[in-house]
Amino acid sequence: MLNVTDLRKEFATLVAVDGVSFNAGNGEVFGLLGPNGAGKTTTIRMILNILVPDGGTVTYDGKPFSGEVRDHIGYLPEERGLYRKSKLLDTIMYFAVLRGMKRGAAKGEALRWLARFSLEEFRDRKVEELSKGNQQKVQFICAIIHDPSIVILDEPFSGLDPVNQIIFKDIFHELRAAGKTVVFSTHQMDQAERLSDTLCLINRGRVVLGGTVRDVKRRYGTNSLHVEFSGDGAFMSGLPDVRRALLYGNAAELELAPGANVQALIGEMNGKIDITKFELVEPSLQSIFIQTVGDSNAGAAPPPEAP
Amino acid sequence: MMTKVVSVARWEYLEKVKSKAFLIGLFLTPVLMVGLGVVPTLLITQADTRTKIIGVIDPSGVIVGPLADLVQARYRLADGRPNYVIRPLAVGAAVDLQSSAAEADRQTGAGDIEGYCLLGPSPEADSAVEYRSKSVGDIPLVENLQQALRIVLSERKGLSMGLDTSVIRALNVKVDMKQVKLSKTGEKEDSGFLQVFFTAYVFLFMLFLLIVTSGQLLVRSILEEKSNRIVEVLVSSCSSTELMAGKVLGLSALGFTQIGFWALMGAVATLSFGVTLVTPGIAALLILYFVLGYLFYAAVFIGAGSPLTTEQEAQQVTSYLVMILVLPIALAFPAMQNPDATWLRVLTFIPFLTPTMMALRIPIQMPSPWEILATILLMVVSIFFAMVAAGRIFRIAILSTGKSPKLAEIFRWAKEG
Repeated sequence: MLNVTDLRKEFATLVAVDGVSFNAGNGEVFGLLGPNGAGKTTTIRMILNILVPDGGTVTYDGKPFSGEVRDHIGYLPEERGLYRKSKLLDTIMYFAVLRGMKRGAAKGEALRWLARFSLEEFRDRKVEELSKGNQQKVQFICAIIHDPSIVILDEPFSGLDPVNQIIFKDIFHELRAAGKTVVFSTHQMDQAERLSDTLCLINRGRVVLGGTVRDVKRRYGTNSLHVEFSGDGAFMSGLPDVRRALLYGNAAELELAPGANVQALIGEMNGKIDITKFELVEPSLQSIFIQTVGDSNAGAAPPPEAP
Repeated sequence: MMTKVVSVARWEYLEKVKSKAFLIGLFLTPVLMVGLGVVPTLLITQADTRTKIIGVIDPSGVIVGPLADLVQARYRLADGRPNYVIRPLAVGAAVDLQSSAAEADRQTGAGDIEGYCLLGPSPEADSAVEYRSKSVGDIPLVENLQQALRIVLSERKGLSMGLDTSVIRALNVKVDMKQVKLSKTGEKEDSGFLQVFFTAYVFLFMLFLLIVTSGQLLVRSILEEKSNRIVEVLVSSCSSTELMAGKVLGLSALGFTQIGFWALMGAVATLSFGVTLVTPGIAALLILYFVLGYLFYAAVFIGAGSPLTTEQEAQQVTSYLVMILVLPIALAFPAMQNPDATWLRVLTFIPFLTPTMMALRIPIQMPSPWEILATILLMVVSIFFAMVAAGRIFRIAILSTGKSPKLAEIFRWAKEG
């Protein structure tokens, strides 16, 4: 379990994290969402004690940070980096031993994970000989090999092909089933929606939205229209009662004004496009994200990425 | 705590010991030392194995004959053949110096003659002589030729003054000077200038290469960890103090591997060829200064290297440190001429220079016991403070990215932590 209370970090020119609080329980996948530069990575660095917070507290399974807590945390940083000239197995074992594993156990686990990711044949190759995706898998192994109770992954899916995304997701679910706390950050809402149980949306260093995915969506009500169609749907953003339209080529998500006349909308669309599906739904996280972040950012450029 | 330090040390050591830069330094350094120090000395003092032909242009016409006889009689190869043959190229007052010299140049160029001697028209009055050859490095040839010419000329002068030939011969005493170095206790040490000079150089260079090789490896690995953010995983796995302690420990193991390997090579050389550079006691003292210097510079490299963000900056900083390290090499000559100079003592007490200055001074003349004790104490204290300061800089610097911090900022980190 990871508890973050009122975390705060200021840099010379900006407040990167401003009173962030959340709670990620055992057996829970927690999504830390937000646009680029929202303060996700800074928050994660403070959780890992890489940065010292200017205020607030973090507890790990109820305990404050200590040398012992370190060995129960796993971390996949956003920037992908490994020792380029070192061998795969050596690298994994080094990070495992640094997290308190015995060398023998580390080797066994490393080989098991390499097999799982179909990387056994590369065990004695140098990291730089691997593709980017494979390097990312190695980093992922380094983050979870020591069976941590809290796993923190910064943008774990960026740059990953769909096949490997599925492997990562499977492992997410295994970790959750084993009662671990999985915290991951992303700016891709569809991923967050599919993967996380609980989430927290950060914008400009502040929490703007939080709770279980169910709660968040329910809070926004069933005020969206999901339309699948063929034809040119560009006109839809100009329809009456449509506050916002997300157009995806052959599908659209329309955010409706309260008390919108759905029948009238169907009438407007008829003849202009060929509707194959028409459904009143809860808004997607993507829509909520744009709605929330878009509103609070109106008229202001997003802050630069924190160092 | 310790297990993590050992893990880091183990990693740093194993990854670096396998690196090409280290292996090259390990083997190439002794080879370079031998190449730079021993081979030229050997070549210079090596006896000739073939007869060399020396041309002579003698406008006076009276020198070349006696010179040829003398050289033939005086210098022999090991197998009894003459070492040099004097070939008269142009003799007598009718010689056209320019065309003869041109012809002699051609013969020298073609390799027909080793070189040639250009005498003046009245050599007794004007003793200026030129020796022209493709290589001017054949010191024994030049020395022998010079000596033979001197004998011939002094004989002629003596004869013209009415001296007896036997008297003149008796006056031409050959002096063979051998240099003997005295140690403090007055014991004789049978080593010439070249050997002392060479020994001091060898140790200076070894210490220099030792520090620079691993210093660069260290800075490069910190840069790599910073640039691809491995360092985030590291400092979330262990404290920055553990990380730095591990790095220093691993690096020290690396340095000791190098010193041990070289010491072994030195011992093998001593046993198999009878070549002794220094006595075991001096070697032990030098190794102690090596270790102290190594640890001190490990801290310096960490402190100076961890705030950097690019390879170019790293090279720049390394080159500054190299300059400090090679300074004693530039001082080797004056230090040998006057090993008791006050300025040498003063420089020895600057921690950045202590190890290298000692490596220079010990083979030349053993410093007094109080100096040795005081410098060791100075180094121990300096290492302690350098490590503390480096640790403070390291802790902040390894996580900073983007632009490298200003010097003032780094000093503030070192002071305040």
